Amino acid sequence: MESTVAAPVKTESPHTPTPVPGRRRKRPSTGLLSAVCTFGLLVLGCLFWHLGSALAWWSPATIPPLTEVTPALVEILGSGEFWGDAGRTGFEIAIAFVGGGAFGLLVGIGFWKAPTIGRVFEPYLVSFYAVPLVLFYPVMIVIVGINQWSVIILASIMAGIPMALNTWVGLSGLPPVYLKLARSLGCNPRQTMFEVALPAAAPFIVAGLRLAVVYALIGAVAMEFVTASAGLGFRIRYLYESFDTVEMFVYVLVVLAMSLALTFLLSVAERALLRGRAGR
Amino acid sequence: MTAASVHTRRRPRINVPAGSFLLLLLVILLWWLAAQLSFVIPTPADTVGALVSNFGDADYRRHVEATAAAVLVAFLVAGLLGVLLGLALGLSKWVRIIFEPLVVGFNGVPKIVLYPVLLPIFSLSGSKIVMGVLFGLFPILINVAAGIRDMPAVYWKLARSVNANWWQVLTQIIVPAIRRPLLTGVRLAASLSAVGVVLAEFFSTRFGLGRVVLRAYGNGNYPDMMATILLLISVAFIVSLLLWRWERKTR
Repeated sequence: MESTVAAPVKTESPHTPTPVPGRRRKRPSTGLLSAVCTFGLLVLGCLFWHLGSALAWWSPATIPPLTEVTPALVEILGSGEFWGDAGRTGFEIAIAFVGGGAFGLLVGIGFWKAPTIGRVFEPYLVSFYAVPLVLFYPVMIVIVGINQWSVIILASIMAGIPMALNTWVGLSGLPPVYLKLARSLGCNPRQTMFEVALPAAAPFIVAGLRLAVVYALIGAVAMEFVTASAGLGFRIRYLYESFDTVEMFVYVLVVLAMSLALTFLLSVAERALLRGRAGR
Repeated sequence: MTAASVHTRRRPRINVPAGSFLLLLLVILLWWLAAQLSFVIPTPADTVGALVSNFGDADYRRHVEATAAAVLVAFLVAGLLGVLLGLALGLSKWVRIIFEPLVVGFNGVPKIVLYPVLLPIFSLSGSKIVMGVLFGLFPILINVAAGIRDMPAVYWKLARSVNANWWQVLTQIIVPAIRRPLLTGVRLAASLSAVGVVLAEFFSTRFGLGRVVLRAYGNGNYPDMMATILLLISVAFIVSLLLWRWERKTR
């Protein structure tokens, strides 16, 4: 967990995310230990769930027993309906991530070039987390109609804002000497951007990308859950309203597993992308 | 006065708060234009009118109170719990090794899907508070833990050399040292617990503004819908901005 995750908005000083070299050498062992412990905790959770159902600590209508959920999980994973919903949610997340991420990157670069404009927009961008964007869903429906684009647009906004803020923070934290070097080497603006500025701000931009994925996922699923008519979020609501607790649990578990796996993959990707930067 | 003249001498600079205010006016102008073009979007004036008349309604005030109370309780619980768990996660190496991956993982989970699971356990009025807590808990927890971990080692040495007891260490050393990430966490927790409560109200609740929005949308009463949206957004914005300014002042 780097400090950029901690502060999705303005990260502290620009150089905190790079770990101390000494700590990095110890990492593999604690990482393995962490993985084992996490696995153990998940197993313990399942055990507690099973025990609670078996000893009737709660009624099966509230939390269905594991022995009923597992076969339902296998059955649902083989059904076309599930893959239809998962495909739609995946599509929404992918488009929101790509669109929102690209837009956020451009906005962040723009704010770096024109800091006054950036500061004018800053209070609004920072406070965007405070606004339940779902509130705009009815407005979006009025504008683009009832289809997946209203979900995609709102999820893109959620993904784009942390990306823009992180890019901006990363670029404005560049040591001025980097840009001086680029000037004295006679770099053209494109070279300065792609060979000097963006690579130097990479830790922040990569952290921004990671937040963009997470927010695209949270945004898309939450939006579907509250209002949409297809997708994994919608299915959970639908199954709840039709009192199908077992299937609803299956879908909740799938969404949880999916997002945990995504977080894990993102941290692996982040480490791979920033390999060899510890001494920056 | 002198500061202003220095600025004007260097180069003509735009006053940033004034610029932000102008931006707000521009957005309202765009909203007004959109309202002229599409008959389903109410004008800003109609929306404010609907908001004022809503507040004359005792039933509406009850919804406002229900949402405000739920957000306040959720924020306080999330703050307290977040600080305690963050302290544990930041101070103990073993707690970190065992629980950190799951904490980071659950931070990225769309927590709203847990709402139907919570409903039968915490009942209709308790579940939205639990939802708000789940939303607000993680930013404060993670920020406190990261803040403690980034503390210079010499602070701990100082604490040992002056024989500070644990309460003194907490209040005289840890809290001042992590005040920036702590305030970031508090700001995000305040925002997100409100988001969590309103989202939960969108799904199902007895009283609350999320439900009011959805009902107005269902009835096609767009001025009422926009009025409640405007109320929620303005309050959320103002609280978040004030906390943000406070956070920027503590350097």
